[in-house]
This record gives sequence, C-alpha cells and structure tokens, in this order.
Amino acid sequence: MKIIIERFDGKKKYESTYELRIDEVKGQTLLSLLQYIKRTQDITLNFTAACRMAICGACAVRVNGHSYLACDTKMEELLEEYENPESMRISPLNNFRVITDLVVDWEPSIENLRKVKPTITPKSEFSEKTGCVQTQADVDAIKKQWDCILCGCCASECNKLEADASDYMQPFVFTHAYRAADDSRSKDPMIHLKPAIANGLWNCVHCQECVDRCPKGISSFGDIESLRVMAMKKGLNEGMGPAHAEAFLLDMVEGDGRLNEIKLALRSEGVLANTTKLDIAYNLMKAGKMNPLHIFGGEKIEGHAELVKMVEAARKAEKEGTIK
Amino acid sequence: MSEQKFTRRDFLQSACISVGALAASGSGVSALAADNKKDSGNKDGLPSVDVLVIGSGGAGLRAAVAVRKKYPNLSVVVVNKGMPSRNATCMAEGGINGVIDFEHGDSHELHAYDTVKGSDFLGDQDAIIKFVEKATEAIHELDYAGMPFNRQKNNTVARRFAGGAKYERCNYAADKTGSILMHTCLDEAITRGVKFLLDHYLLDVAMDGDKCEGAVLLDMQTGDVTPVLAKAVVLATGGYTRVFFNRTSTPFNASGDGIAAALRAGLAFKDPEMLQFHPTGIRTGGALITEAARGLGGKLINNKGERFMSKYSKRMELAPRDIVARSIETEIRLGNAFGEGMSSYVLLDLTHLSEEQIMNELPQIRHVGLLFDGMDLVKEPIPIRPTAHYSMGGIEIAKFDDMSTHLPGLFAAGETSCASIHGANRLGGNSLTDTTVTGKLAGEGAGEYASKQTGFGSGKHAHELAQKWQAKFKEITSGGTSNEMYDLREEFGKQNWDNMGIYRTGDKLEAHAKSLEEFQAKYDALKIPNPNMTYNTALIDYLEFGNLIMLARCACLGALERKECRGAHFREDYPKRDDVNFLKHSIVTLKDGKPTLAYKDVVITKYPVEERKY
Ligand SMILES: Cc1cc2nc3c(=O)[nH]c(=O)nc-3n(C[C@H](O)[C@H](O)[C@H](O)COP(=O)(O)OP(=O)(O)OC[C@H]3O[C@@H](n4cnc5c(N)ncnc54)[C@H](O)[C@@H]3O)c2cc1C
Ligand code: SF4
Ligand code: SF4
Ligand code: FES
Repeated sequence: MKIIIERFDGKKKYESTYELRIDEVKGQTLLSLLQYIKRTQDITLNFTAACRMAICGACAVRVNGHSYLACDTKMEELLEEYENPESMRISPLNNFRVITDLVVDWEPSIENLRKVKPTITPKSEFSEKTGCVQTQADVDAIKKQWDCILCGCCASECNKLEADASDYMQPFVFTHAYRAADDSRSKDPMIHLKPAIANGLWNCVHCQECVDRCPKGISSFGDIESLRVMAMKKGLNEGMGPAHAEAFLLDMVEGDGRLNEIKLALRSEGVLANTTKLDIAYNLMKAGKMNPLHIFGGEKIEGHAELVKMVEAARKAEKEGTIK
Repeated sequence: MSEQKFTRRDFLQSACISVGALAASGSGVSALAADNKKDSGNKDGLPSVDVLVIGSGGAGLRAAVAVRKKYPNLSVVVVNKGMPSRNATCMAEGGINGVIDFEHGDSHELHAYDTVKGSDFLGDQDAIIKFVEKATEAIHELDYAGMPFNRQKNNTVARRFAGGAKYERCNYAADKTGSILMHTCLDEAITRGVKFLLDHYLLDVAMDGDKCEGAVLLDMQTGDVTPVLAKAVVLATGGYTRVFFNRTSTPFNASGDGIAAALRAGLAFKDPEMLQFHPTGIRTGGALITEAARGLGGKLINNKGERFMSKYSKRMELAPRDIVARSIETEIRLGNAFGEGMSSYVLLDLTHLSEEQIMNELPQIRHVGLLFDGMDLVKEPIPIRPTAHYSMGGIEIAKFDDMSTHLPGLFAAGETSCASIHGANRLGGNSLTDTTVTGKLAGEGAGEYASKQTGFGSGKHAHELAQKWQAKFKEITSGGTSNEMYDLREEFGKQNWDNMGIYRTGDKLEAHAKSLEEFQAKYDALKIPNPNMTYNTALIDYLEFGNLIMLARCACLGALERKECRGAHFREDYPKRDDVNFLKHSIVTLKDGKPTLAYKDVVITKYPVEERKY
C-alpha cells in the first residue's frame, strides 16, 4: 500500500509516497511504521516521539485528516477504520505552526497555558510544610482533566481554532484552567477563570470535535461549559457574555442539551451582527462537521441530566442574586 | 514585550540579553539587564541568562521553580530537546517515596535503612540520611503545588508498599504518579515565570578557566549552534539506559547527553556500570509491564510449560526484581525460552484473573500487551523479557546539599546525577523522590551561586565550541546511506545487552570493550545523508548515539574492573559481594578521549555493612 506523507523542509511543501507491503504494515503501530520508514527508506523524514506508551504526548499526527496518537494506534485498526485503503495520508497536526514534516511548534501553546496560570494558589489554611487536605471525591472531580498529556489532538480538530485562532486558545488550555479553578484546595478560581474568559471562553463553537479525538477521553468542550457556568455563577458576564449565556442556559435546560451553535449565535448576537459567525457555521456545515438540521433539535446528548443539574444550580444562584 | 507576541528569536535575545522583561513574570524587574552588558565580560553580547537548566523532567522543572522561588530576581531558562513534557518522569506509574505518617512505626531512619540496604551498601549514607528527610518535605511541597495525589480516608496523601520497603511510604496518584507529578511541576514552572527554550539540544558545557560559563546549544528548529552564557548551569537530562537500545523501558531520549557533556568537560562519571533491569518488559522493544502484574499472582512460564521460578526462589515470582530478572535470563540461556536472540522471551500468565479484575486493576498492562504484541492477557499468556530500567550511575556530585559538581557553576540533578543515593540498586519509588529532592537542591544551589557572581564568563570557550560543532555538522551531513547509522545502533544495543547486560563475565566484558572501540571507530566515520538543518531528527539520533557509545565504554570499563556481584551488577565469575576490595565507587573520567578508572570510598556513617538478604 501507499503511505503518503505531507512534507515541509522549512522552505517548501511537498509530498512523499512510500510503497509498503501489507506485511510490513501489519503488526506495527503508526509510530513504529514511521520509524520503519525513516530507518529503511527515508532518513530525512522528521517526526517526534519519546515514550511510545501514550503518556508523553509527543507523537500525535493526522491520518486522513484526523488526529491520532501514533504510538497508541495500531495499523490494523487504521486499516479497518478506513476499509483497507490503497493509500493513507499522514500529515502534521492542524492548527499548529509546522516546523518540518510532522513536527509542530509548541511554544505558543505554552504561552497560552501561561495565561491561565495553571497552578493553584492554595487556601491559606494549607502550608508548604504540611501540605493540603483534600477528599478523594474532590480529587475525583478533577481526575479526568489531569489525564491530559498535551498531545494536541484536540487542538488539531478544533473548528474554532481553524476558523479564527486570533481570539481563542487550544482546547486543552481550557481544560488546564478548569482543573486549577475547580481544585478544592484552590483559594480563588478567578485567577484561572478570568484569563480564560479574556482569551475566548465564550467563543467555542460547540462542535465537540475535541472530545471525539482526545486519546485520553477528556472533554475540553465539557470543561469549557463548566468554566462558563462558573463564570455565570460569579456574575462574570460582560461583553458578548450575557446574551450568549442566557441562550446557553435556555438551550441546556429546555433544548436537547446539545448546544445548537446556529441558534445560539443568532439568539445572542442578532442576525446582522453575526455574519462572520455564520460564515463559520456555513464552513462547518460544508465540512460535514455541523448538522444544519440541529436547528430543529436532535438527540439528547450524553450527560444531559448532569448539565441540567448544573444549570439549575446556576439558576438558583441567579435567584439569590449572584447572577445579574 | 507583550506576552502574546513572543517569537523564539525574540526570546533568546531578550530572555537572555534584556533579562528584565522575562524574569519579571509580573513583578520586580531584575537589575541584571544592566549588569549584563557592563561588567560581565560578555563582550560579544552572547545570549545570557542567570540560571540555565538543561532538561525538563521532574528534576529540571523542580530546579527551575526552586530558583524562581528563592531568588525571584534571577532569570531562569529551561532548555529541552523538544517540547518540555516529553521525558521519563511522565512514564512513572507506581509512586514516590517519602515518609509522611510517623504514627504507625515508620520513620526517616527506616526509609534510610531500606535505601542503604537496597543499594547493596554502595549508597553514601550521609547523603541518604539527608535525602529521606527532604523526601517528606517533597511530598508536602508537591501537594501544596497542586499535585492531585490519591487520598486516604482521613484526606491525607494515599500511599502503598513498594519493593524493598518495610512500610507503606510510596505516595501515589492513581497509576500515573509520574505524569501527574511532571505536569504539576510543569504547571508550576509556567505559572512562576520560568521561560522555556523548546527544541534546543545541549551539545556541550563551556568553561571560562576553571568555572562553568554556560552551554552550547543546537537550535533544532533552525540548525543554528548557539552559545548561551549563564552564571550557573543545572544539568537534568535524565538517564542513559538507551545504551540497550531496543531493550529498555525508558523513552527514546534517555541518551545520557548531560553525562556525556560533563565527561567532555572533564568531570567524572560515577558508578557507570550500575544499570538496573526490570524483570518484565514487553518482548517487542521492552516497554514496561509493572510489578503489579506479579503482585496479582502472575505466573512466569517457560517453553516446557513449567512455572520456573520455583527453581530460583521460595518467593517465586515475588522475589526481588534483580533475582526474577536473572532467573528469566537463565531460562533463556538454558534454551527453555521461546524465540531467538534479542526476541527471546518467556510467558507471563494472568489468565487466572477475570476480565473484570484485569480491567479494574491492570487496564494499562492489557493495553500494552495488545498494542505491542497484539495479545490479550485476559485470553492468553503474554511474552515478556527483562528490560533496562534505570541508571544508578551519573555525573559525580561534589556536595549533596547543593548538588554542585566539581566544576564551579555546574550543578546536576535527577537521573543524570549521582549523589550515590541508590548505590548499586535503586528502590522502587525512590527515583521520583530523587528528581524532586535533588532538583530543588540543585536549583537553590545554582541560584545561590549565580546570585554571588558579578558577571558572565568571556564566552571565548563557548564560542570556540560552537564553531567546532558547526564545522562538524557540515561535514557529517554530507553523505552516507540511510540505514547505516540505524543498523549500527541496533547492533550496538544488542551487543551491550548480550555482553554487558544482566549476566556479566570478565571474558565477555573484555571482548566487549574492544568491540566498543570498533563501534566508536565506525561511528567516527559515519555520515548522514541529510544536509537540511531544519529540525534534522537524524542528526539528533546521530548525536545521541555518539553519547551512548561513549557512556557504554565507561560502563564497560567499570563493569570489567568490578570483580564482584553487587546490586544490579552481576559477575558470574565473581559470584559474591567483595567488601574488602569493592566497597567503592567507580569514578570514570576521559583521558585523551579514553575512559580511565579510579575509585572512591563509600561513605558509611550509621548503618554497618551487612549481607543483603530479603
Ligand atoms: C516506565 C517507567 C516507570 C517508572 N516508574 C517509576 C516509579 O513508579 N517510581 C519512581 O520513583 N521512578 C520510576 N521511574 C523512574 C523515573 O521516572 C525517572 O528516573 C525519573 O523521572 C528521571 O527524572 P529526570 O528529571 O532526572 O529525567 P527525565 O524525566 O528523563 O527528563 C530528562 C529531560 O532532559 C531532556 N534532555 C535530555 N538530553 C537533552 C539534551 N541534550 N538537550 C536538551 N534536553 C535534553 C529530555 O528531553 C527530558 O525531557 C520509572 C521510569 C520508567 C521509564
Ligand atoms: S467544542 Fe469548542 S473547543 Fe472543542 S473543538 Fe469544538 S470549538 Fe474547539
Ligand atoms: S485534552 Fe486530550 S487531546 Fe487535548 S492535549 Fe490533552 S490529552 Fe491531548
Ligand atoms: S511517543 Fe509518547 S505519547 Fe506517543
């Protein structure tokens, strides 16, 4: 079969095609296959890897447009997924600057993480000398978010980043903000919440691609929603926030639980103010990433009951005067 | 300078030359910027920073944070060959040792004793006694820094047993302690204003007279060789177990670059022959199957269908790591194993467990079996073989309290360093403690040293080294064939495994020393056919391979001369421990590019040397 790899040598883009026998492909992981190609066919091929055990996050690439952790993906599974194709196309992660071939630049991501100050400031009853006290339930509340290995799969798929990255951050950055903000040891969730709001919290387009592709099963989308609820509870609904927020509440409780981006955009910003967003929606529809029929409602999403609970809590807070 | 518009070029220039903007992470601007240009001796205006940390595993990140906390006016830059979170630290699963419960019989004394005994008495007791006290502090500090440890019923940090320990003092966070620890440290470093120089590879350490003046880095993105001046440098580049290239549990980047650079700078490599083997690695490539598999009753089976551990230990599969590892290798040598050569293996049978039990307790291991060998341990026994796991040896430390080396201004921490805490054998859970404790000490040591310096070195040596490397890169990227280097590396790993692995003999080691010279000669003539310097990963492979050859030569010399069995070092021709002649550290340095060996006494203060029995 043919493995087609999108190349970039620092100056120009091109493609390389490697012919492999099926027995050379089977039994390999995607990572060991890349290593095999480098070793036997083309030493100039560049990619990164360290742990080969799905824990360091170094090896994410795209196959036929979708992100995979190369070391954790068996070629047999890929062949099955794509129905024994004649060829497969491997490319670097999307929404990152490509340095060369399959290697991307992580520096902007680190600087975005810096914005949300990912480390907690512990409550004053705790000290460095004796540590903290925390219940297992409180650990469990943020346990999933701590599985993030900074592989970038979510960012590669993110439709908002693809449409316009200038007012947004990688989905995992929100996950990191949330796990700090929601930590029971944390003195002040605002430290993480405020920069999340300032850097695009309300701009997520709810496509949930990040959830689908995370190799660790993390929902950055869910974390973004949780941060929004937190923001509303704190009355942080300036700017585009409040209308968006209200629409969000309505959708969550009365709708099918799956945020309907078109409805939301129309409702919160008015049709006219919203031409740019409609472009995004149109592009998403074209790419098959958004179903226009959702405007008429669809199936209930998983965890809907949870969301309703969250929103109801927010409403209660609203009655008590925390949300204006 | 705004946070957003921050290119890497700006960074090197500004991090380094107008330190203020960077060091500032919001507060007090450092006075260094001015100092930098005037009195520093840095006349060429080379990029410079107060403390340069190389390597961003647990040790490097702890060091960087320690500097920021204690010396907020100093600038700190962490260099890494790649994105900072790709390291060995994140791979640790089990836990991190440190006594935090003193109510139920455990104490610093007992942790120290277990560590000394575990080291087969090659550990330096003065360092170990301090280490275990700092271990307790380290756990609380990590907790305070936001590490989400699992919790006990009383809401304090949860802990379990680890091999060789009398009490439960291995603190853990699910089965991902290392990953969670590393991300805690990374988050803290990011939050505290530590700057990262991603995709930079340490080539050499530079000296001004008898002091360290900085380091020479390869900017992997552009191929530029960049000398960076620093008042203090911390090496935290991890271990060198990739000498066994395809039989190790460690990441591809565990190539001992920092140790090799230190050797070239004239420093000593202490106890290089002390490499730890783990009994259960996956057949293909040596990824780790954790001890828990044997803890849950996993049986080891040979090609005769025998549960062969009955021949070697009363404790069967639960005997200590080194004994189980040797037993498996013996079976392989007796012809009682499956497969051939490097892919020989025995079976690990867990089929007595239900699928539910496996999914609850060993999900990761099942996954690994499926991934690498396409075998499901719920249904069938899976192939395993011992795998190289940890480097006890490392850069010789002059003083544990600040992790300084014998080169003023140069500090080392974590697996790269050898403060002789683990001696001839590291206990499970003690190395995450090592990274956290020695990382902090090295950071504080480097900070203190840097704050006392009035300026930078002249940069002359750094500049010369940079030019030398540049010329070399031109030459070596101008020819060769694709697979030549990789074939040689494969063979190198195999030979190290066969001749310097779990079983060692004088004859084999002697022959191996010669063959390593040949590897060196072949390597010296090697070229790689890729002149494009944009993130040239083949060039990085080449550089790492060169370092591994040098470190293997040192290890081979140490192993050849250590005519005894101690800890992980097992000599068939000298099957006993010899405290009369070898209660000593091997100290290897380079003379004219050749390893030479000297010895140094082990420090024994409190715990008399006795037989190591379990
Ligand atoms: C599978 C596995 C399981 C383990 N389980 C446990 C456990 O349960 N408990 C325990 O205590 N220990 C465990 N260990 C051991 C422990 O993880 C390591 O010993 C320890 O984390 C080493 O930390 P470090 O900071 O010294 O090095 P590392 O974490 O390896 O970091 C070194 C860093 O330096 C960088 N680097 C290297 N060379 C260069 C260069 N030339 N230029 C720039 N950067 C460079 C690397 O990229 C890397 O990021 C385990 C190890 C493995 C592999
Ligand atoms: S749900 Fe939001 S964060 Fe996730 S991929 Fe879509 S736009 Fe990006
Ligand atoms: S959230 Fe998931 S996909 Fe995104 S970086 Fe973290 S582990 Fe990778
Ligand atoms: S190589 Fe580490 S996650 Fe794939």
